[in-house]
Amino acid sequence: MAGAPVISILSAKKASNMTEASQAAQQWSDCLEAVARRQDVPAFEQLFNHFAPLIKAFALSSGLNRSGDHLPDELVQEVMLAVWRKAATFDRRKAAASTWIFTIARNQRIDMLRRLRKHQNDLPADDIWELEADSDLFGEVRQSRVQDQVRDRLSDLPVDQRQVMAKVFMEDKSHQEVAEEMDLPLGTVKSRVRLAMKKLKLSLEAFDL
Amino acid sequence: MTQWHPHPDQLVEFAAGSCRAGVSIAISVHLHYCTQCRQMLSELESTSAVLFEQQAPAPVANTAFASLMERIEREPAPSSAPAAKPQAPSRFPRALATLMPDSLEQLDWNQPMKNLRVTRLLDDGDLIIGLHHMKAGGRVPNHQHRGEEISVVLEGGFSDQLGSYAEGDFIRRSGKDTHSPQADAHEDCLILSVVEAPVKLTGPLGWILNPFLKA
Ligand SMILES: [Zn+2]
Repeated sequence: MAGAPVISILSAKKASNMTEASQAAQQWSDCLEAVARRQDVPAFEQLFNHFAPLIKAFALSSGLNRSGDHLPDELVQEVMLAVWRKAATFDRRKAAASTWIFTIARNQRIDMLRRLRKHQNDLPADDIWELEADSDLFGEVRQSRVQDQVRDRLSDLPVDQRQVMAKVFMEDKSHQEVAEEMDLPLGTVKSRVRLAMKKLKLSLEAFDL
Repeated sequence: MTQWHPHPDQLVEFAAGSCRAGVSIAISVHLHYCTQCRQMLSELESTSAVLFEQQAPAPVANTAFASLMERIEREPAPSSAPAAKPQAPSRFPRALATLMPDSLEQLDWNQPMKNLRVTRLLDDGDLIIGLHHMKAGGRVPNHQHRGEEISVVLEGGFSDQLGSYAEGDFIRRSGKDTHSPQADAHEDCLILSVVEAPVKLTGPLGWILNPFLKA
């Protein structure tokens, strides 16, 4: 339905990549629904095989292993356990499967890092990051469009912007921390992220015509 | 729809989970009221998910899936536990619900002046999260801020030289701003405040600049 006009304005190669990505996205949503409806272990194993190595990479990128070699694997277990238990709350009309799993991984990693830093009085990340659901039934269509577009445009970004994006979005580092690590002025880091966002979003606006 | 929003850089750090706890609570409260920022956050999370999927996968042990399934069979799902103790719906957004008592009167308030009382909710290292409660129509004398401060209007509204603010508005102040806020005339104004921990007090209005100082 929403696919036809999207594909028509793209090159054939990009269109076929996007179709592949969209099909994969459908597949993960199907798996999550199978887990929710009938505790489907083979579907869960497919999810595990795809997402567990990504969750582990996500743990490693924040340096979780420096606090304990076992922690990245522990995060994998905690996140996939939450995926199994929360699958019934996944709603494909509201979120893409990979976004839903990313947010679980992010929240679990926040909790784990805070426990390690021995923060007191901290609220569980879910209390802060899990918002009341929007009554937006076109979420999946829009999110998958956003994802297709980001995937497509990310490879066109200059290396310096892509590098900063990966650090800011994946490595649990504030703009300030990324600036210190890369020995760049804070303003440079912020403007690279903003520029990258703008490039990704500009194209989104074009899609919304 | 609120008029005052977090800076996009702050939303990026919120989406990535890297912002400080105090700031993340303030942003979460604002998101409760603001469709526009929720939309932006959803785009940022979709972007994150793409970057997440594009990471170089880190191999996990062959036995990892089997041990997870063992654990799933061993540990009963606690899914019924939270549902077992349904809480009365809070008048505040979820991020605040656990910090707030049933009644504001249960909090330990400081009343530096007739129209204003303040209290701390949470100490987050270098940030302090607290409440300002201004009486309807009450005005706080002109003062300057030190360091960064975030205010989110929870109930009522107020105005100052820089604008007027209603429920959900997310107001950022830096050290340079001078203002004299006044609560709207018809109702009390309750504000969530996130301030940098005070180093020292200066001037006679120091307790207003950093009203959460214990000393
Ligand atoms: Zn907003």
